Amino acid sequence: MKGIRAFVCGAGIVDAAGIGLEKTWEALRSGRSCLRPLSVFPVSHRPALPAGELSGALPPDEAVPRTHVLALLAARETLSATPLLPEAIVLGGTTGGISTTETLIRSGEVRPDHYRYHALGSVATYLARALNCRGPLITVSTACSSGAVAIKIALEMIRRGQARVVLAGGADALSRLTYYGFHSLQLIDPAGARPFDLHRRGLTVAEGAAFLLLAGAEEPPKGAMAELVGAGLSCDAHHPAAPHPEGAGARAAMQKALADAAMTAAEIDYINLHGTGTVDNDRAEARAILDLFEEPPLLSSIKGIFGHSLGAAGAIEAVASVLCIARGFIPPNVGCSVPDPGLGLQPALQGRPGKIGAVLSNSFGFGGNNAALILADPSRRSKALERRRMMQFSVSGMACLTGVGSTEETLKRFHGGEPLGGRPDLGTIRTGLSAGSLRRLRRLPRMVLILADAAQEAAGMAETAGPSGGIYFGTGWGPLTETNDFLEQLFASAEQFTSPTDFIGSVHNAPASKAAIRLMATGPNITATGGEYSFEQALFCAALVAQEGDGPVLVIAADEYHDVLSPRLDPASLAGWGADGGAAFLLNPRAPATGLRLVPAFLSYVPEGEDGIQPLIEALGGPERICRRFGAVFAGIPAGTRTRGEAWIADFLRRTGFPGVIFDYRRTTGEFAGASAIAAALALDVVSSGLLPPHLSGKGETALDGKGVLLLGLGDFVTAIEVVR
Amino acid sequence: MEDFIEELKRKIIDTLELVDVQPEDIPTDGVLIGNELGLGAIDVLELVMMIEKDYGVKIENREVGVQVFRSVRSLAAYVDEHRRGEGR
Repeated sequence: MKGIRAFVCGAGIVDAAGIGLEKTWEALRSGRSCLRPLSVFPVSHRPALPAGELSGALPPDEAVPRTHVLALLAARETLSATPLLPEAIVLGGTTGGISTTETLIRSGEVRPDHYRYHALGSVATYLARALNCRGPLITVSTACSSGAVAIKIALEMIRRGQARVVLAGGADALSRLTYYGFHSLQLIDPAGARPFDLHRRGLTVAEGAAFLLLAGAEEPPKGAMAELVGAGLSCDAHHPAAPHPEGAGARAAMQKALADAAMTAAEIDYINLHGTGTVDNDRAEARAILDLFEEPPLLSSIKGIFGHSLGAAGAIEAVASVLCIARGFIPPNVGCSVPDPGLGLQPALQGRPGKIGAVLSNSFGFGGNNAALILADPSRRSKALERRRMMQFSVSGMACLTGVGSTEETLKRFHGGEPLGGRPDLGTIRTGLSAGSLRRLRRLPRMVLILADAAQEAAGMAETAGPSGGIYFGTGWGPLTETNDFLEQLFASAEQFTSPTDFIGSVHNAPASKAAIRLMATGPNITATGGEYSFEQALFCAALVAQEGDGPVLVIAADEYHDVLSPRLDPASLAGWGADGGAAFLLNPRAPATGLRLVPAFLSYVPEGEDGIQPLIEALGGPERICRRFGAVFAGIPAGTRTRGEAWIADFLRRTGFPGVIFDYRRTTGEFAGASAIAAALALDVVSSGLLPPHLSGKGETALDGKGVLLLGLGDFVTAIEVVR
Repeated sequence: MEDFIEELKRKIIDTLELVDVQPEDIPTDGVLIGNELGLGAIDVLELVMMIEKDYGVKIENREVGVQVFRSVRSLAAYVDEHRRGEGR
């Protein structure tokens, strides 16, 4: 079979230069810094620190937070010049609706409907509704590499036949959380970011959104602006906030991107640096480049022009790279007047016209989450990407945490037909984690470390043999305690004091990066967040990214119940005990997989009024296969969308004639975003023993006769995971 | 000064949530960061905030921070000096 190529057939951008590609182009061309004192919200100190704030008024849309507005502006521009429509959306971000949430919390607002756009995942569903896109939606949050990681996921969707046209990018608006957070880390340069300068003192926080429309084809379609030829991901597994001092993870990501593109370092004409302007980032990045490139090509950071827009930055820089390829220009490294001789690299201080065959664009984030993209001139490139399939996984270990405790306790109660909901008392869970390794860790990272350790142990893996294939973490809400504590202290002190530990801990990917440090997992480290479907999104990411030779991957999903925030953000959580917990799976990528398997089979956002069931039945191979292959359906119907979900399960039964058991599992696990991961653990236990517990069938213990369990999610999304052997 | 050093040690234990650590376990003159307590750069920033909040003394750049956080004694001396310098 011929390979496939991923072409950039549309691009759109909103950043500190303004709305649209031409504003960005003008700033790149003229080397004009767009950084100026922050004004989007009042700050406690004078003068306000510089920021990369979108100038001018936004189109008024009082109903949604600023991130959502920025995202839709950039998405509309991306689709404006092409007849192609996206079949999938992959979005990277770190803050979602937090800027609105901050204002609401400060005013004491408790009504949940005001918070309905808080979640990171709500940006993608907002876009899908506005653009009328049904299909896979994935939201990734890997701190400052989110936008680039989203583009890597999109590349794999195309390569692995999951979609032909994908809208991928990132969006983040300025917020108090990130402004004061980076300030508390003493990482904001009061003079504005000076990447690679001898006197650099830090970054400049910024906002923006950018997307690429990627289309899979064998030859460049008309109007292709550039080609995405490869991407690489890695994790430092070194420190929650600081980069590896030698840039080991950054080097690995760049090297993997080159391997992915089947290119040598010498074929790169220009490097768009991550170049934040912090002392440590620029040093680590320079070391990584010097280590990998015998003769480094032209390079520059554009963060002196636009600032650092965090989860959007990787996408903004990908779009800037596309413009530079299409228009033949090397952008200047604004902000640097005296290049730091200690870095051993000379960034391009002046912009210059020049043909660019291939760009390497770097993005590195908190938690050592690294991504590198390679974009190329489509007319100069003829190599195709080797087509791949969704990776198959054999399960070698699993663990769960529920209201009744550890895996053992959970399975015992499940077989007895007892409820599992509630909040596990983490202090009583047996674990090999020392007090030191748990110091200053709040509820969600603790759950994740306990689960990661337990899954490793269940798989019989030594502590020293980590999941070298990477860690994939799904969380609907992220670390709520850290987020709450940060904002509570901020407002209680009239915006004078904030905790750097809480800030670092508040990012969605903090728990997964903690797990990577503990397990020395230097492979991809992706945190996915899509409300009730976060576990499903994490498992899909794993099947999209994992490769057979990379070794085992760890997929975890967990969420915490928080007394203050959960009732506001997720009122449905009150319906079932205010439960929390999660589950973890140690999986071996293998084709064909053997033994117990978890197969992500379907993931689609379904707009109101559309049919979600027929596409699901088709994806599962039709009614006959469904009835033959599965002895039970574990149905996840979130309380917030119960009417719709129940209608769908009835529709599913009517159209398939499925005769087996239906287990409405949220009545047992409680209502929270990680519940589907617990259901997967229960399903694995059932399929492993081949016996359904008596309370499920209502007629005593029932044999599955070699059949599997179908795990469905039915609400805003329709999802399916096959649990089979 | 010895009383103030003791007070700072208690604040360090509280601020950084050092489980099972007593004031006498923290060296007065030995290195504070990178010893067996396992404290790192983020802990230093957490202490910077505590010092500003509780004593009104700002430590805003890395170079000063490295000197000040050499030991509990150097921290105490710095805070004591700048606290007195202010407003009196």
